Amino acid sequence: MMPLTLAVIGEENMIRKVSGKPEVRAHLENLGFVPGGSITVVSTMGGNLIVNVKDSRVAISREMAGKIMVQASTENQEETV
Amino acid sequence: MDIKIALAGNPNSGKTTLFNALTGSNQFVGNWPGVTVEKKEGKLKKHDNVVIMDLPGIYSLSPYTLEEVVARNYLISERPNAILNIIDGTNLERNLYLTTQLTELGIPVVVAVNMMDVVKKNGDKINVGELSRQLGCKVVEISALKGMGIMEAAEEAVKAAGGTKTVPQHSFSGVVEHAIAHIEEAAVHNMPLEQQRWYAIKIFERDEKVLEQLKLDKTVLAHIEGDIRAAEKELDDDAESIITNERYVYIASIIKGCCKKKNAGGLSTSDKIDRVVTNRFLALPIFAVVMFIVYFVSVSTVGTIATDWANDGVFGDGWHLFGIGSSAYEEAAEEYAVPGAVTEAFEAAAEEAGLDPEDAADLETTAYLYDDDGNVEEEIPVTYDTYLEAAGQEEPDPADFGVWVPGIPVFVEKGLDAVNCASWLKGLILDGIIAGVGAVLGFVPQMLVLFLFLAFLESCGYMARIAFVMDRIFRKFGLSGKSFIPMLIGTGCGVPGIMASRTIENDRDRKMTIMTTTFIPCGAKLPIIALIAGALFGGAWWVAPSAYFIGIAAIVISGIMLKKTKMFAGDPAPFVMELPAYHWPTVGNVLRSMWERGWSFIKKAGTIILLATILVWFTSSFGWADGKFGMVEMNDSILAAVGNAVAWIFAPLGWGHWQGAVATVTGLIAKENVVGTFGVLFGGFDEVAENGWQIWSNMRAAFTPLAAYSFLIFNLLCAPCFAAIGAIKREMNSAKWTWFAIGYQCLFAYGIAFVVYQLGMLFTGGGNVIGAVIAFVIVAFILFMLFRPYKESNTLNTKIKIKAGA
Repeated sequence: MMPLTLAVIGEENMIRKVSGKPEVRAHLENLGFVPGGSITVVSTMGGNLIVNVKDSRVAISREMAGKIMVQASTENQEETV
Repeated sequence: MDIKIALAGNPNSGKTTLFNALTGSNQFVGNWPGVTVEKKEGKLKKHDNVVIMDLPGIYSLSPYTLEEVVARNYLISERPNAILNIIDGTNLERNLYLTTQLTELGIPVVVAVNMMDVVKKNGDKINVGELSRQLGCKVVEISALKGMGIMEAAEEAVKAAGGTKTVPQHSFSGVVEHAIAHIEEAAVHNMPLEQQRWYAIKIFERDEKVLEQLKLDKTVLAHIEGDIRAAEKELDDDAESIITNERYVYIASIIKGCCKKKNAGGLSTSDKIDRVVTNRFLALPIFAVVMFIVYFVSVSTVGTIATDWANDGVFGDGWHLFGIGSSAYEEAAEEYAVPGAVTEAFEAAAEEAGLDPEDAADLETTAYLYDDDGNVEEEIPVTYDTYLEAAGQEEPDPADFGVWVPGIPVFVEKGLDAVNCASWLKGLILDGIIAGVGAVLGFVPQMLVLFLFLAFLESCGYMARIAFVMDRIFRKFGLSGKSFIPMLIGTGCGVPGIMASRTIENDRDRKMTIMTTTFIPCGAKLPIIALIAGALFGGAWWVAPSAYFIGIAAIVISGIMLKKTKMFAGDPAPFVMELPAYHWPTVGNVLRSMWERGWSFIKKAGTIILLATILVWFTSSFGWADGKFGMVEMNDSILAAVGNAVAWIFAPLGWGHWQGAVATVTGLIAKENVVGTFGVLFGGFDEVAENGWQIWSNMRAAFTPLAAYSFLIFNLLCAPCFAAIGAIKREMNSAKWTWFAIGYQCLFAYGIAFVVYQLGMLFTGGGNVIGAVIAFVIVAFILFMLFRPYKESNTLNTKIKIKAGA
C-alpha cells in the first residue's frame, strides 16, 4: 500500500483506503473514490494530480492524494491468487 | 394543475444544455430562498402546464455542499411530480450513483442517458432495456447537444408524473437492511410509505440535516444507534461509507449486465489533450497564450473597434454604414485640419481681444495641431490674411460622404427641436439620460466579445483546467485554484465574477474570493484607466498594465494578510474538482451564455446607471444661486456643494477638489460613472472639440499626474459599484460579512492611495512630514501583517454553514 502521490503515471491502481476528515472523505466517496475501485493517475503538476476514477477525470490536490491509499492492481491479483 | 418536473444530474452531464433545449427562451432565473444558489425554471416547449425545474448539478444527495442541500430540500419538501435524471453515458458508473439515491425518494424517475452519440462513436454499447429493468424506471437515450431524443425524454417524464412511484430495485447487505428496517419501524412509520426508505437510509447515515428536521425522541435515537453500531462493527466501516460502498457495488453489478466498453482503460482523446495542456512544463505557457489571445482580441483589437463604433457612432454623431465613405471623409477631414485649426485659433484670439474676427486686421496668433492624445504636433503662425483664406474653406461634414447613419443623440435632438422642447428637458434627455447610458452601453460590444470567449472556455472544458493549473499559485495566499475563475470573469464584470465564486465549496475560500475579486480592474474600470492614462500620462503604455498589477498585488497582499486573521485562519480547503472531458461546445450554447451575462450588464446599465446619471445631471444642473433655486452653473450646483463638503477626506490623497470627490461617489453607483461624471463636470461646455481631449486638458488643470494616479488607485480598489455590492451581499448571505468586505476594500484603497501619493510627493521633493510619517506607518503595518508568523488554528472549522430552506 502507498499513498496515491507515489503512484506511477498511467498505471492502474486499486483504492484500498480513504482517510481524513469525515466530510472530506464523504465528498471524495461521492466523487467515486471508494475502496476497491480502480484509479489511474493521468498527469501531475506541482504536486496536484489529475486522476481517472470511475471513468471521470478528477483534479485533486497533493494533500488529498496523500490521504488516498492505493495498491498496484497487478500486485493485488498476485495476492489473491 | 401544473406538472412539475425536476431536472437532476451531475455537474457536466449536459443538464444545462438539456434544460435550454427543453424550455427555449421560456425561463425564469432567480435564487433559491435563503441561499445563493441559482434557481432556474421554465415551461416545457409545447406544454403550457409543465414546469421544468433545473436543480443545481450534484454528485449526491449528501449534505456537504450548498448545491446538494438545495437540490435535496427541493426534492423532499416540494416533491415534484417526476424527476428527469440526466446521466452521462460515457461515465455511467459515477452518474448512476446519484440515480440510486433519486430512486429512493419515492418520486417517479425517468433516466435520460446523455451523450449517446459519443457512446456510439466510441463503439460502446448500453443496453437500455436491461438498465431500465435493473433501475426500476424508464430509461431513454438522448443527445442534448445534438437535440436527439430530448422531447421524447420530456414526454416520458410527463407520462411518469401521472404513473406509479419508482421503487428502488437495489438492496443493501443483510445487516444494513436489518438496521434500515428497524429504523423504518421505529422512527418513520408514520410517514407516507414511499418516503420511508429514503429517510431511513439517511438516519442510518446519521445525516445531520435529516436528524435535525425529524427531531426524533432520545430513546428512539438510542435504540437506532444500537442497530447502526452493530452494522458498523460487522462491516468494519462507518455507516455513511458502508452505504456509499454498497451503492457502488450495486452499480458495478448493473454495469456488468448492460454496458459493454470497447477499449476500457485506454487513454481517451481528452486524456491526450490533458497530457499536453496540463503538462508540468507546457501548462503555464499554454495558459498564458490562451489568456493573451482572449485579451488581445477582446480588449486590444476587436473589442476596441466595437467600443469605438458604439461610443462615437451609435451614441455619438453617427457612423458610415459598413465604412462606406469613411476613408473619403477622413481624407477630407485631414485636409481641413490646418484651415480648421487656423480658423479656430484666430477666432478664439479675436474673442479674447474683444474684436470681431472679420475686422481684426492686425491680430496675430498661433494655431496648434494636436495628435489623438492631445499632444502638439505642429505650430502654425496665423495672421488676418491666412485666417480669411482658411475661413473660406468649408468644414467637411461626414454626412456628405458615403452612407451616413446619424447617431442616436442627433436623431433625438432633431426630434426635440421639432416639438419645441423646454431647454431643461432637452438637457435632461441629451446630457443626462442619453449621454450617461450611452457611455455605458458603449462597452457592451466589448463585453460581449469577452463573454463570448469566457463562454467558450467554460463549455469546452478548459476553464476547469485553468483552476487546476492555477491551484498551486493561489494556494500560497489563502485562495484555491477555483478562485481564478471568478477573478478572470471579474476582469469583464465583477458581478458575474462574484457569482462565479459559487463553484468554490469551502466557505472560507469563497468569502476570501468574493472579497478580493473586485480588486481586479473590471470592464467598467477600463474607461477610468484610459481617461487617466490619456489625460495625465499622454497615453503612456504602462498605465493600464500597472492597474492590473495593482489589482493582482492587492489580491495577493489581502489574501496573505486576511489568511492570518482569526476569521480566515486555517488552510484553504483541499482541492478536488471534476474535469469535464474536452468537447466542442455548440454555437447556440456559447451565444446563450454570452447573452445571459451581457444582458445582466445591460439591465444594470438601464436601471441603476440611468437613475444615477439623472441624479448627477439634476444635482449638477440645479442649485441655489442669487437666493433662489433653479438651473445654475456647475460651480453653484448641489453636487458641487456635496462634493465640497466631503472633499477634505480625499485631500491627503492629493485630489481634495469637489469633482474628484463627486466622481468617486458616483463611481459607487457604477464605476463607469466616474468617466461619465467627469464628462459632465469637465466637458459639456465645449461642443466643438472632437472627443476626449477637451476633458483631458481640464483634467490636467485639476490633477497632477501623481494625484491622478492616486485617484486611479483609490477608484480601482475601493468598494465596487452597488450592483457588485449587491452580488457580494447575495453571495456572502450575511449583512455583517458584506459590510466587512466593503469596509475592508475602502480602507485598503485609502491606505494604498495615501501611501502612493504621500511617498510620491516625498520622493519628488514636495512631501509633508506628517503625511510621510503616516505613510511609513501604514507600510510598516502592512509589512507586519504580511510577515507575522502564521498561526495554524488547531480546530479547523471548515463546515459550510447552510441555512436549510425547508
